[in-house]
Amino acid sequence: MGYNPDKPMDGRISDLGPPHYEQFFPPVIKANKGKWLYHEIIQPGVLMHKSETGDEVYSIRVGSPRLVSIEYIREVCDIADKHCDGFLRFTTRNNIEFMVDSKDKVQPLLDTLASYGNSYPVGGTGAGVTNIVHTQGWVHCHTPATDASGVVKAVMDELFDYFTSHKLPAQVRIALACCLNMCGAVHASDIAILGVHRKPPMIDNERITGVCELPLAIASCPLGAVKPAKAEVNGKEIKSVKVNVDRCMFCGNCYTMCPAMPLADPEGDGIAILVGGKVSNSRTAPKFSKLVIPFLPNNTPRWPEVVEAIKKILEAYASDAKKYERVGEWAERIGWEKFFEKCDIPFTEKSIDDYRLAYDTWRTTTQFKYTSHIK
Amino acid sequence: MPTIEHNGSSFEVDEDGFLLNGDDFNADWVDYVKGVEGISEMTDEHQKVIDALQEYYKKNGIAPMVRILSKTTGFPLKRIYELFPSGPGKGACKMAGLPKPTGCV
Repeated sequence: MGYNPDKPMDGRISDLGPPHYEQFFPPVIKANKGKWLYHEIIQPGVLMHKSETGDEVYSIRVGSPRLVSIEYIREVCDIADKHCDGFLRFTTRNNIEFMVDSKDKVQPLLDTLASYGNSYPVGGTGAGVTNIVHTQGWVHCHTPATDASGVVKAVMDELFDYFTSHKLPAQVRIALACCLNMCGAVHASDIAILGVHRKPPMIDNERITGVCELPLAIASCPLGAVKPAKAEVNGKEIKSVKVNVDRCMFCGNCYTMCPAMPLADPEGDGIAILVGGKVSNSRTAPKFSKLVIPFLPNNTPRWPEVVEAIKKILEAYASDAKKYERVGEWAERIGWEKFFEKCDIPFTEKSIDDYRLAYDTWRTTTQFKYTSHIK
Repeated sequence: MPTIEHNGSSFEVDEDGFLLNGDDFNADWVDYVKGVEGISEMTDEHQKVIDALQEYYKKNGIAPMVRILSKTTGFPLKRIYELFPSGPGKGACKMAGLPKPTGCV
């Protein structure tokens, strides 16, 4: 029975939750669940897991643009039908994994993937650059300071060699968020691309009464820059807000709460680069990423400044870090002043924390290294 | 922005059907939202939720948190969903003429 808009609750099914994942296990995964002995990365993008029953499963990981059409998904299904009995999975970084249960089936699958040109690049394993975790950008969101898909494409084009190889000291996780809501992994990634504003919100007094709950807009400000105020619209006094521009750091939280306070601006908006975060507990504790480049312009459609900056950081890290060392571990070992020197990034006052708990981030020791940044 | 005509009253609304001006609120608005939100019959319970929302909004300038709405009306969240199938935000706040909920919703 189709949906009847006159009786919306009739025959309504709800609270089913997602289907149980075991329904979609390839037979070899189902049979060996919880029995895996070890795994190997045979080549970039191809893993082999060995079970105590002697079974093997080969996973072929391919990059995906995350934002995909139904046609693309159907094509992926066709590949899975042809080689993997109709089974496949997506990874937590939005790569696709095709799994086969014997080594003979790997090469034919790789050949099929290669026949689509660069649509299904095999890689994303080991010490390389895997897929970029990213957000909606100008495709769908209303608070972004930059685009997501466009920047990601530009960066991955430049770093494509690192996706299909294992030539870095450790895996490098790149993430992008198009505003500092930081949907996704930006705050804890080796290299993070973050959309930032540089202008305060504009207050639209004509709309604010109907669309805004003013106390929410006031409470949304982390710096107390939004204050209640009276305004005059068409000769009538209304309740509104005003922004203390000197206190505003352009986070955009008030716009999230109040649609009458937009702050997007083509010249003001752009991208900040953060580095050194990680989420794993291996060797060192998880870290937050830190701001190293405060602003790069939104230069559509290829963001050349952003791409260049990321490549420079990645190459400096690749040539200098020790094996297994993540970007943050490397920067902390050599000291951040050396990080700025080796990556050739000018240090600006924007990198000096000045928010509430800032004191702990300043240097309270005489231990430091002389660098080209201190002349 | 679209204008809705219902029983001779006209309402300026946004693309999600929320009133752009809370002062436009009247009985015709309630009757109109009743139709679009899948509410077959207005009961005293509906009215109690609407009144609670409007009173809180008038006093505080914001819509109440869900727990406050439950506490003041005495309806658990489940009952509010039974009254307003779209929920307290999309259903009840719309009918009460409050601004559209904002944030990551």
